[in-house]
Amino acid sequence: MAIELSGVRYRYAGASKAALRSIDLRLEPGCVLGVVGANESGKTTLCLVAGGFAPGVVGGRLEGSARIDGVETTSIPTHALAQHCGLLFQNAATQLSNTTATVFEEVGFGPCNLGLAVPDVIERVWWALKAVGIEDLAPRDPARLSGGQGQLVALASVLALRPPYLILDEPTSELDPAGTALVGDALVRVAAETGAGIVLVEHKTEVLARIADEVIVLAEGSVAIAGPAAAVLRDPILAELGVEPPARVALERDVRAAGLDWPAALAEALA
Amino acid sequence: MSLASVASGPGLPEYVTRRPGGFYRSTNPSTKLAVAALEVVAAFVVPGWPGPLLVLGAVLATALAARRLRGLAVVALAASPIVGSILLINLFLLPGASDPIARLGPFAPTWSGLWFGLQTAARLFAFSAAIALVYLTTAVDDLLADLARRGLGRRVIFVIGAAVQTVPRTIERAGEIVDAQRARGMDTEGQFWQRARGVVPLAAPVVFGALTEVEERTMALEARAFSAPGRQTLLRIPADGALDRVLRWGAVLALVALVGLRISGRLA
Amino acid sequence: MGPLKRWVARQFTTRVIVLMPVAIAINIVLGATVQEALKLPIYLDSIGTILVGVLAGPLAGALTGILSNLIWGYLLPAPIGASTAGPFAITAGVIGLLAGVWGQLGLFRPRRSGAISVVGAVVAVVLVGALAVYTYARAYASPEAFNNNVSGNSAITIDQSKVFFLVVMLVYVVLVAWAIFLRRNVGAVYAIGAGLVTGIVAAIVSAPIAAVVYGGVTGSGTDALVAAFRAGGDGLYQATLKQGLLSDPMDKMITSFVVFFIIGSLSRRFIARFPNGERALGDEAEAGAPAASES
Repeated sequence: MAIELSGVRYRYAGASKAALRSIDLRLEPGCVLGVVGANESGKTTLCLVAGGFAPGVVGGRLEGSARIDGVETTSIPTHALAQHCGLLFQNAATQLSNTTATVFEEVGFGPCNLGLAVPDVIERVWWALKAVGIEDLAPRDPARLSGGQGQLVALASVLALRPPYLILDEPTSELDPAGTALVGDALVRVAAETGAGIVLVEHKTEVLARIADEVIVLAEGSVAIAGPAAAVLRDPILAELGVEPPARVALERDVRAAGLDWPAALAEALA
Repeated sequence: MSLASVASGPGLPEYVTRRPGGFYRSTNPSTKLAVAALEVVAAFVVPGWPGPLLVLGAVLATALAARRLRGLAVVALAASPIVGSILLINLFLLPGASDPIARLGPFAPTWSGLWFGLQTAARLFAFSAAIALVYLTTAVDDLLADLARRGLGRRVIFVIGAAVQTVPRTIERAGEIVDAQRARGMDTEGQFWQRARGVVPLAAPVVFGALTEVEERTMALEARAFSAPGRQTLLRIPADGALDRVLRWGAVLALVALVGLRISGRLA
Repeated sequence: MGPLKRWVARQFTTRVIVLMPVAIAINIVLGATVQEALKLPIYLDSIGTILVGVLAGPLAGALTGILSNLIWGYLLPAPIGASTAGPFAITAGVIGLLAGVWGQLGLFRPRRSGAISVVGAVVAVVLVGALAVYTYARAYASPEAFNNNVSGNSAITIDQSKVFFLVVMLVYVVLVAWAIFLRRNVGAVYAIGAGLVTGIVAAIVSAPIAAVVYGGVTGSGTDALVAAFRAGGDGLYQATLKQGLLSDPMDKMITSFVVFFIIGSLSRRFIARFPNGERALGDEAEAGAPAASES
């Protein structure tokens, strides 16, 4: 029971260079995997391939094997992909269906598309709203929410399909600090309460420091380093690859570079 | 995945099942469509004055009872350029007319031209008003929900619903771009040529901005099982009472009868 | 699934379903504002329709056109809604259908100026020009039609109609020359030529609609033209047809040119994902810029 990529190489339709070359990755339920990397390093492509959207929805050529719970993603029909793996993107506004009048119906959009009976739809909607912590938003108009709230609604509407895995592609990149905190808290909740396996692509390494178990660093379409979150996030290679380390890591580095001590008590207090 | 029991009771919340109220506003959307179709056909098929006048009367009465008279006034205003053109052209240029009102140099307005022009104008008003009444008394969401219940595919529903929502958003965005361009010195008044040059820096960002969203929106829809086969579940179902059904079928039958009568030449 | 069903389903992928409302909105917003701003007898309300037709196929294009007019006419309130747009949904459908055919034939593909393509372009110009000449000759058929006065008003003479025809061809040549010499893109010839043909067909389809539903009057500046033709003794159908033949080819040529330009400006990756996208992409060498690698 896992998402497994082995020897994955992927090229978009109409492109000359491969966007991913030789990716090996394993995500198990209940685990949170962080992904960092410079721009154009293949992070979004990795999300699409792991979720089966590439080549399923966007075409292109996939070599190697991408499997969700033992099934090749290429053999899963497009509409069923969402039930295996939920995908969330950066822009909250473009993830709304624009066909619903309330958040309740928006979150129910997925289950309704599947043709589930009304009682099942209702149950799933409340479950998803609760998992994300936004039951009080249920009667609101989805078009009139803040960026952070919109992302939470998008998250809930993806969760309503009950996927065992979640892939989030920079969900906080277009949000202000308040929105980022909101989404970060919600992710902690979701990780704890649903037991889903989560892939989280983030520039804001603070968020990863908070909830990721393992982190991989992508560079030019391949995995540069992989390992436990704490270790990877203090690896100096991050800066070389254009990724901002978490604030406390940067602080420790600067303090040590100035020739001062970094007391263990301080490290512990900050952890 | 253990969570406490669901927060709310077993049914759909009130804000989802709530239906519009008010005279004609609470009528089933498909019924309103059928009635509008009847009115449009009657305006064109019944010759002479009775057709347009009866339809206009019916529409105005309904609008009054539904308190949407002001909306109709806006429609009338919007139709006035066309009506003006119709009157002028027919007044002066009705072929075969030979009963001039006066002779003003080379121009000769005719009585039959005036008569015909007024009739055509009335017909156009009736047509526009009958259709306007539908959207003045029906929310697009309810209309689409009703069509969905009657079997219209989820993709067509999505296209219509999303288009109706996207138009005002695109206009807003165009407005923002115009303001930004003006701040950069684009001339929006002035000579034709300057205005023509201004079209591209205005239209291009609107078009390209709208197109770049297509990819993200496609993914978002697929991530919500939009391409699943079979019929989607409907949460919002407009009311369809006995009166609605009678009215609807009556309108359809009357429409067919009118067309039949016209084709067979029974309408003088 | 039979081949027909497959052909239909292929044109309506989720991506196309997402593109259509955007295209409809572009049609409506540009159609409403450009007329307002430029006050010329061009509408520019088919950019979205032709774009969808070329990228997705004839059915998708036709449906986009039809829905655009229906929504514009019946679901949007004034000032954006145009109550006259509704019945012309048929014309819009035909425009979208034709655009799908042109797209299928690869007429919207960028092409470098090589010897073969220039010859092809010349042939296209000749063919299109011949069609235009034929159409205009038929429509403005006999000198008598012009000199037939009913109420003693002045008439549009056959010489003036020749001038109009020449203006249309001139616009065609200018756009094509600009594309070839300044942009080095011969593909524009085919696209604009396709636009001219589409315009002629659109005029022919619209004329009876305008005549029957509106008595030839739609409230725009073109009504004066219709009036002038009628003063010259033309019947209602002929007058609206002639007015249409003056506006539609110009409008559709410019629209097709704009669509060609839009397609050329969008990323290859984006275009490739549409059902007919491959036919709208030239080789990388022809398109000029190499495709960028993606993150």
